Amino acid sequence: MLRQTDQVPPPTTTPVDAALVACADGDPTTFGPVYDALAPVAFGTSLGVLRDPDHAAEVTQEVMVEVWQTAARFDPARASARTWVATLARRRAVDRVRAEQSRRDRDQRDLDASVAGAPRDVVVEDVERRLEGAAVRRCLESLTPTQREAVVEAYYGGRTYREVAERLGAALPTVKSRIRDGLGRLRDCLGVARG
Amino acid sequence: MADDGTTRDTWDLLPAYALDAVDDLERRAVERLLEADPDARRALDEYREVVAAFAVDQEPPAQVRDAVLARVARTPQAPVPAPAAMPAARPRRRRRWAPVVAAAAAVVAVAVPTTVAVQQHRAAVELQQQADRVAQMLADPEARLVTAPIAGGGEATALVSDGDVLISAEGLPDPGEGQDWQLWTIADGAPESAGIMPAGSGGVTTAWVPGGAGRTVAVTLEPAGGSEQPTSDPVVAIET
Repeated sequence: MLRQTDQVPPPTTTPVDAALVACADGDPTTFGPVYDALAPVAFGTSLGVLRDPDHAAEVTQEVMVEVWQTAARFDPARASARTWVATLARRRAVDRVRAEQSRRDRDQRDLDASVAGAPRDVVVEDVERRLEGAAVRRCLESLTPTQREAVVEAYYGGRTYREVAERLGAALPTVKSRIRDGLGRLRDCLGVARG
Repeated sequence: MADDGTTRDTWDLLPAYALDAVDDLERRAVERLLEADPDARRALDEYREVVAAFAVDQEPPAQVRDAVLARVARTPQAPVPAPAAMPAARPRRRRRWAPVVAAAAAVVAVAVPTTVAVQQHRAAVELQQQADRVAQMLADPEARLVTAPIAGGGEATALVSDGDVLISAEGLPDPGEGQDWQLWTIADGAPESAGIMPAGSGGVTTAWVPGGAGRTVAVTLEPAGGSEQPTSDPVVAIET
């Protein structure tokens, strides 16, 4: 397959990456194994953000059809198939949560304000449980508590950093740097390096 | 030029962008940076891998598999993207803006007119020519995108392509009874009318300013029908 990429060779190409590249040739029968390998990432990612299995299943269905349709855009030099699918799934799940969030926020602003402390504890507890088995779990401990809080709020809450700042009662630049430094530390801890 | 600071600010947004934690405007700014800068793309790829490490695999319900494979069997794939977005091949001068496809996409996202609103009294043939030209501008890979805030809120965006400007104002209030928003192009301090801003829909007003490139495009509030010369301060001025 002729595709122009940067001169850096692909880091490690897994069989799943190869299968995804191969299915870009348009044969639907090659997609079954790709689905089996990648749908759990899509579902796990969607569920993490949406927390509702029915919604997560709908998003998974949309994402996996998108994976098929846009398979030619997958570039193994830039990301693993797993990362690519997680990115697509997260984007869709967050779009959905935002659409619902704005409605809920409008309806329940007063109520939210009066019980602001409670839902956050639930989220943190939920996160601890969800992260069992996530590659990032060990590394989260290398973050400062405020970095961890900002990253986790943005990840699981599907919130913009502005909303995170509002929710945590912190200044905007502060939250932006917590997210940036937090993800930077995670990157180093996970040993992620490209190029 | 605040270009360096702006680029650094946009770089700072990459981690939040990887988390989908930016708003729409920031998203567009980051996407323009990514279009122009391979280092930014590499940094983003790393952050995305970090974000993906949060994912815990979980088996979806079995019926999802059947539904997906059924749709896959009757859904054609999108073609391989053309390598048009390879910034290294473009002249360096262009890289400051480097909006390429992102510019066109961004304007479509900002403007969202189902039919681009142009001045309504023009003949149908002329309208069609304008629509063709606007479509051409939206597709122009060398087009530049410039934005400026509107006094009192909102933002105006100018797409500059081959001498012409397509301006789109989001959040421009109703001009009120007996008044219109009038467009001007200004060169060497001399304003020249570019007509009345057409009525917008969905809070977005779009107008075509042929030959506006390289001039300042401004909007003022004028008595209905417009004035020979501006009679109020501009609510927005964009240097194209």
